[in-house]
This record gives sequence, structure tokens and C-alpha cells, in this order.
Amino acid sequence: MITIKELPDENLFTAGHTACPGCGVAMSIRNAIRVLGKDTSVYVPASCAVVFGTTFPYGAWKVPFFHTAFENTGACITGMQAAFEKKGKKVTAVGFAGDGGTYDIGLQSMSGAAERNEDVIYICLDNEAYMNTGIQRSGGTPFGAWTTTTPVGTKVQGNRRFKKNLGEIVAAHEIPYYATLSIGHPLDFIRKVEKAKNIKGFRFLHMFTPCIPGWKMDPAKTVEVTKRAVESGMWTLYEVENGEKKITFKPGKMKSVRDYLMMQGRFRHMSDEDIKKLQMWVCKKWNLHYKEKGAPEVCEIVPPEEHHAVTEEHREMHGP
Amino acid sequence: MFEVRFHGRGGQGAVMAAEALAEAAVIEGNYAVAFPFFGAERRGAPVLAFTRIDSKKIYSKTQVYSPDCVVVLDDSLLDTIDVVAGLKPGGSVVINSRDKPEDIDLGISVKTAVVDATSVALEILKAPITNTAILGAFARATGVIKLESLEEAIKRRFGEKLGEKVAERNSLAARTAYGRTVIGTSKGIKKLESKKQWLPKYQELPAGGSLIEGKTEAGLIGPGSFIENKVSGWATFRPLRDREKCTMCLLCWFYCPEGTIVRISDRGDLMTNYDYCKGCGVCANECPVDAIKMVRARA
Repeated sequence: MITIKELPDENLFTAGHTACPGCGVAMSIRNAIRVLGKDTSVYVPASCAVVFGTTFPYGAWKVPFFHTAFENTGACITGMQAAFEKKGKKVTAVGFAGDGGTYDIGLQSMSGAAERNEDVIYICLDNEAYMNTGIQRSGGTPFGAWTTTTPVGTKVQGNRRFKKNLGEIVAAHEIPYYATLSIGHPLDFIRKVEKAKNIKGFRFLHMFTPCIPGWKMDPAKTVEVTKRAVESGMWTLYEVENGEKKITFKPGKMKSVRDYLMMQGRFRHMSDEDIKKLQMWVCKKWNLHYKEKGAPEVCEIVPPEEHHAVTEEHREMHGP
Repeated sequence: MFEVRFHGRGGQGAVMAAEALAEAAVIEGNYAVAFPFFGAERRGAPVLAFTRIDSKKIYSKTQVYSPDCVVVLDDSLLDTIDVVAGLKPGGSVVINSRDKPEDIDLGISVKTAVVDATSVALEILKAPITNTAILGAFARATGVIKLESLEEAIKRRFGEKLGEKVAERNSLAARTAYGRTVIGTSKGIKKLESKKQWLPKYQELPAGGSLIEGKTEAGLIGPGSFIENKVSGWATFRPLRDREKCTMCLLCWFYCPEGTIVRISDRGDLMTNYDYCKGCGVCANECPVDAIKMVRARA
């Protein structure tokens, strides 16, 4: 296992890129490529990362970089890897797609590559909405969050659907390695990228990357907010290796989801009722991940019947 | 017709400023239009916004190329952009700066109004969003709109989007800046050079639009060439590290999204390269021993 101290000095993603101050995506990219090293070829579909990392004639990547369309990350890295194999080069093809390019638009391509168990690394930079195009809702947007397509009005406030469980979808392909990462947990982050680097087959790294303008928060809190997310159960750190799930970081006592929500402007409008609903969702997830810890206190405030409140509302809105 | 061009950075609210100014003109019974222009850049990158005010209907839809007044929301832009380009004779410039008008070199000698809008914004709004403060200075310098209608416009614009409290504070920021504005004349010494850019002929472009590492008269291009892009102007604050307190845990180096904090393993030390610091403050927030403090950049 390598530690922060053992990481190389050199930046393979150079300074001068045009990401917003405090960008979680830039942080994740820089450190992922630090661990992956020079023998890497990068593919980025339409996303912030392609805009701030490469603006003609400049580029921040010091490794080969390729970009085409939004929906084909899985297919492109497959092709890149096939070419390297044909040429006898020992290079890893890595795709850095956003949550829009993975949860929604790129899902079929990613699923194809996972099904074929291509020898590539797929990294999803999950900032929970289409941030590059101006904050539209994606399948990764959590319940209650404001986006420009889930605005806060008098009747409906924010996103009414819960975050899609991408982890389960990806892991269901029975791939060698799936892991969730957070920039706020550096050792866990480095260990997982390093582990993925040394495994053969389709590896999926799911990174939680705060977005300052999209989440409407203080740029200095990028790392802090990922820590709060893990402490409250909104984000869980685990890995699935050959079908075997392992929790890699166990937070202490569960913190109320409210602390996490109030750090961000996108949640600040949420009513107590909505927060309760989200808390129940988090509790369910928490109990699933940290079974042995037992139900935390915050979860016992709401009676268990309310678990179903959301599905009923969903039916009301969308028919049976 | 009175034409205004705003030079700002993404996140400072140049667009809202242009809109609020237009609204103020409408309140006074005039016609007005406002619209922004920006590239694919993110927060902190230079942006433009325009406002046109007239007593008649406005049919002109182009960008403002010869403004009557230029508003600069961030004085670090003066180093990289020729803000007075196309300024009409007898025009004026409003700048957010701590300097006196006489100490500001714009390349031409012109009526210049100065206000430290960043300090006003930090005092009243608790964030370096300088748009409403600079509008106060604009009202004072040009007299095109009254302060009262400006305050009313800010209350309407911001109240609708951000709530009454925020609107109230923003109009206070405008009033405060109105009072603190200093009007004078700028220096006209420096020669403004336009930034060199690499514009290849189509024959020079490699097949498939790929770009390899290279050096042109405008600097590096291709992989790793973003280091040509100095972003220090984006920062309102910048980190200062106390070497005595620092335990070399390297967390700041790991977290820095920019590569501002450079690690030199041979010397076992860290160096801060302010050319690339956007002043996010993550390093100071995460330092476990509080060895990093954020201080005002360009103080």
C-alpha cells in the first residue's frame, strides 16, 4: 500500500487548468493520475473535465488524452485498450466520465464494456448533476437537491427522485473490481486506485466529487463536505471485489443528514418533511452497509411505515 | 444611447450587475437591454457583460464595442485585458481597486472612479461578490442613474432570486460604495500589447485534430502546456504557510486542486507557486495543525 508520502512529485495533470476554485473533480483527477502513473492513456467524454483540462491549444494532461462524444466512454476505452494490446504496449486505458456520462448517457456503453470484462479502468466523477452545461438533474442527483431542471417552487421543491444506485448496477455485471472513493479519505483513495491499477479486467472507480457552483457552497469546504457525506451515510466507502462486498471505511456514530445538507445551498430550501424522507433513505442505506453497527439513533425518530411514503408519492406523480 | 461594458470574473456577478443597471434605467422610464458574453471557462475566468440605456427603443443587438463607460469588477484584469479598448472620447472608467485613480495606469488618461468594492462586499455581504458595490460607484461616477433607482432595481432583481434579506444587504453595499467612491484621472503611460496567441494555419494542424507537445512564439502548446495559463488573478485570498508549525503531513499538497503547492522531495519541503493559486482555501481549511492562513491577495 502506498501513502501520500510515497506519491511521486510530478504532476501529470498540470497547473493552470481553468476549473473553478476548490473543484472536487480537479482534485480527484490529479490524485488518480498521480497513482496511475505515466503509462496511462486517458479518455474524457463531454464534461467539465474536458473543458477545464484541455482548451485548444492548451492541455493539462501530460499523458495521451482523447475526447470524442458524450455517450461512448466504455466503447472508446475498449478500442484504445485493444490498440495497445495489438501494438504490444503496456498501457492502461482510463476513462474519466461524469455522472451524466455514466448514470444516464453513457450507461449502455459502460455496461457493454463491463459485460465484456474489458481490461480497462472506468472512473466516474460523481458530482450529482450535469454541472458543465449549467446544473441540470442527472440520475445521480440526490433527493431534494435544487438543480435548474428541478427548481424550488411552491408545489414541488427540488429533485423528487432518489439517487440511482449505480454501485449495484455496475457490480451486477460481476466485474473484478468496483469501489467508491472520496477525496476526503486520502489513504482509502490511494489504496483503491492502486488496487484497481494492479487488477486485470473491468475496474470501476466511483469518485465523489463536490462541485462548488452546483452545490452552492464555500470553495474551502470541498474536502470537508465529502467527510460529512461519509459520516452521515450519504456516501459510503466500500469495494466489491469478485462479487464480495467489503466496507473499507466505517464512520463513527451516524451524524444527522441535516448537518451535511446545511453546508450546501442546493439543499437549504428543504422542508423538515423532506429532510425526514431523505434521512429514512440514508438510514436504509446505512443499515445495509453497516449491518453490525445496528440502527443509529437518528434513524429511530421516524416510524418505519414512512419508508413507503416516497413510492406512493411517486405513483401519484407518474401513475401506477 | 449610453453603452456600458462590464469586465468581471465568473462568480463576481457581472451579469447580475448589467441586469440590475438595466432595470434601474427602466425604473427611471428609459429603455434598456443587458446581456453577457463568456466562453467555456469556469468560475474566476474573465467574463464580459453589456448594458445599453436609451430614451428610445433599442434595436442594436451587438456586443458593445465603443462604450461610454467601462466597469471593471476586478483590478487584476487590468494586467491582462485592454479594458479601455474602444472607449468613447469623454468616456469614463469605474474600477474596483484599492489604489487611487492617479496611480492606475490604463494606457490612456481618462476620468476614472475607484472604489474598494471587494472590501465593501466582504464587510457587508461576507463574500467577495462585488457587483452591487461597483454599481454604487457607477451611479456616483456617471450620474446616468440615481442611487435610489439603483437600490430599487437591486432589491427587485436580487429579491426575486435570492430573497429579501440578501437584496437589502446588496442595496446597502451599493449605497456604501457610492459614498466611498473616489473620482480622478488615470495615468496613461503603459503601452498595451495584445496577448500573443497561437493560431495555426490549417496546413499546420495535425491530422485528426490531435495536438502534440510543441513550442510556438506564443509559448507552449499541447500536453502539459496549461502552465502557460497563469490564474493568480482569480484569487481574492491566498494561503500563507507557517513553516514552524508545518508538520509536512502533505495533506495540502494532496488536496490542492491546482498544483499551487509544489512538493520538492529532495529537500523535503513544500513550495507555494502563487501563479496558479485561485484562492479556494481548501489547504487552510484542511490543515490539521492550522499552519496555513488565508490572507488578501494583492494587498
